[in-house]
Amino acid sequence: MLNLQSLSEIQAEFAEALRNPAAAIPAGIVGPDGGPAPKRFSIYRNNVLVALGNSLAGAFPAVKRIVGEDFFKVMARTYVLESPPTSPVLMDYGKTFPAFIARFEPASSLPYLADVARIERQWRESYHAADAVPLPSTALAEVPEAELADVTFRLHPSLRLSKSSFPAVTIWRMNASDVPTSAVDFAIGEDALIVRPDAEVEVRVVPPGGTAFVEALASGESLGSAAALGQSSDERFDLGGNIAGLIGAGAFVEIRRGLEQVPQ
Amino acid sequence: MSQQSTMPLQSTKPDAIPARVGVGLKPEHYDAILTERPDVGWFEVHAENYMGAGGPPHRYLTAIREQYPLSLHGVGLSIGAARPLDRDHLKRLKALNERYQPGLFSEHLAWSTHDSVFFSDLLPLPYDEESVRRVADHVDEVQDTVGRRMLLENPSTYVAFAESTIGEIEFLTEVATRTGCGLLLDVNNVHVSCTNQRWNAIDYLDRFPMQHVGEIHMAGYAPSKDDHGDPLLIDAHDRPADPVVVELYDHALSRCGPIPTLVEWDNDVPDWPTLFAEARRVESVLTRARRDEDAELAVAV
Amino acid sequence: MSTTKKLTATVLAGAVTAAMASFAVPASAAEGDMVKCYGVSLKGQNDCAAGAHSCAGTSTVDYDGQSFKLVPAGTCTEMQTPEGPGSLEPIDRPA
Repeated sequence: MLNLQSLSEIQAEFAEALRNPAAAIPAGIVGPDGGPAPKRFSIYRNNVLVALGNSLAGAFPAVKRIVGEDFFKVMARTYVLESPPTSPVLMDYGKTFPAFIARFEPASSLPYLADVARIERQWRESYHAADAVPLPSTALAEVPEAELADVTFRLHPSLRLSKSSFPAVTIWRMNASDVPTSAVDFAIGEDALIVRPDAEVEVRVVPPGGTAFVEALASGESLGSAAALGQSSDERFDLGGNIAGLIGAGAFVEIRRGLEQVPQ
Repeated sequence: MSQQSTMPLQSTKPDAIPARVGVGLKPEHYDAILTERPDVGWFEVHAENYMGAGGPPHRYLTAIREQYPLSLHGVGLSIGAARPLDRDHLKRLKALNERYQPGLFSEHLAWSTHDSVFFSDLLPLPYDEESVRRVADHVDEVQDTVGRRMLLENPSTYVAFAESTIGEIEFLTEVATRTGCGLLLDVNNVHVSCTNQRWNAIDYLDRFPMQHVGEIHMAGYAPSKDDHGDPLLIDAHDRPADPVVVELYDHALSRCGPIPTLVEWDNDVPDWPTLFAEARRVESVLTRARRDEDAELAVAV
Repeated sequence: MSTTKKLTATVLAGAVTAAMASFAVPASAAEGDMVKCYGVSLKGQNDCAAGAHSCAGTSTVDYDGQSFKLVPAGTCTEMQTPEGPGSLEPIDRPA
């Protein structure tokens, strides 16, 4: 006589068998003849890995191209079993994939791989981030000189920064598009500024000191103190160039002057 | 694409889905659809792919929604789970319904989440009084929260449960009766499940409670083999609907009359002309059914 | 914060002026490095269909992955390093 289980018990057992290859297939799972059906059950096991693996492949195309299809498949499956999604919204899945890659031993010969993955993850977030209209390029020129040091900014909701001590942007670009591959100078580290000012996500290499500058602005520091932080992080920091770069990227959506705000 | 409004649509009433063929909207076809404005009755999207805060998906969907009626099809709510529904996800579904005012809103008779792990697959459940009660409670909760009627789709299954005490049709009928929800009849799923479970598909359709059906799905399957080397069909959505499935569709229409019908093609997505041709092929069956019905009405009058 | 505020209003104003001037030049340096990839019509991540290829006819699932055997085999081997063609592995740097 079959020991009847509750729905909750059946699903717990089913879920465990999906996640753990060593777990037994639930006893109540049968084929049309009423007998055990391990091959039929394995379709579900496989669907889960295929669906979630495909989701990662879609979100990390450059990583996949760098390591090749077979390597990516195994790396993705290992990650899926270790860190399955906890939300049904799969566009959010893979936040921790770059960190996983950084400690995935077989990928250790490609130490820049996690940084490329980070760019792809941030790219995804930027793509789905809230829309906002960047300030016109002249907005900052309208702020009186005496107030400039104290202004703060609301940055574009799609803005992301990705740091790397490798030429991660160059490597990403070579593998995310059809530009021909060429020599890569590993002595150059590239931080990425990722913004979607309108429909398309744009990626730029951050100039020296720029990352500290943007991080400070993003955390609400005034222009004056953010500039000082940029300068102290890298002596090559060029404030004018950084401001021009951020305006050109559409990074600013609002200037806040003390109590008064200048939206456009 | 140019800067467009991403504000919610101003219309307050959903545009009803016509009894025509609609197409599952894929990003690969956004531009072709907006440029060519093909004669398609309506489009359907997977709700979860439009749950980001902003960006191109919403822009495209807004632009397409301005031209066509829209149906919203959830693929991740896990209505068949023993555990409570994900409240945050329900809120997201409600927000999407409010934003796009779809003419139809549907989900699956399946579960996909357990202990907060999302499996991204439509998993089967045993059919008995406990699971009927659970699913009916969840459908009630969805309809109360989202504030509208939903359709529940019959699944493709590969296994059965020794625990089941009632049939799939009895199960679906009972849930529809208890909750007032409608049903989404996936004819490809009927063929896949009937083949896999060794049921008779015509008999299945003859017993299906057509009075609750608000939408039909058509898709292609991939053939495989089970543990004994016997046929096992996989719900792959990677090719045109099989001729057998088109015949079953024709049979279903003879029972339920013209019903909004979706053509789904989610894997190995073809170019737009190929998908459009598949939609036209299915539409020809639907048009013939409509003519037959009109003729019957004329005779009756 | 005020302790790090070493930049004078004049320096800031000069930087803003320089930034504005760069926009007067067509194709300014600010745009030079910008990269767009992938386009705007990305495939959705959620789906309701079964994975077609790898599940059809598959009776066992390769969970193990045999990752100990894994060697990356993508574009990295086709790219060139400053030291010549070959792997992208950094040569003079600790990993």
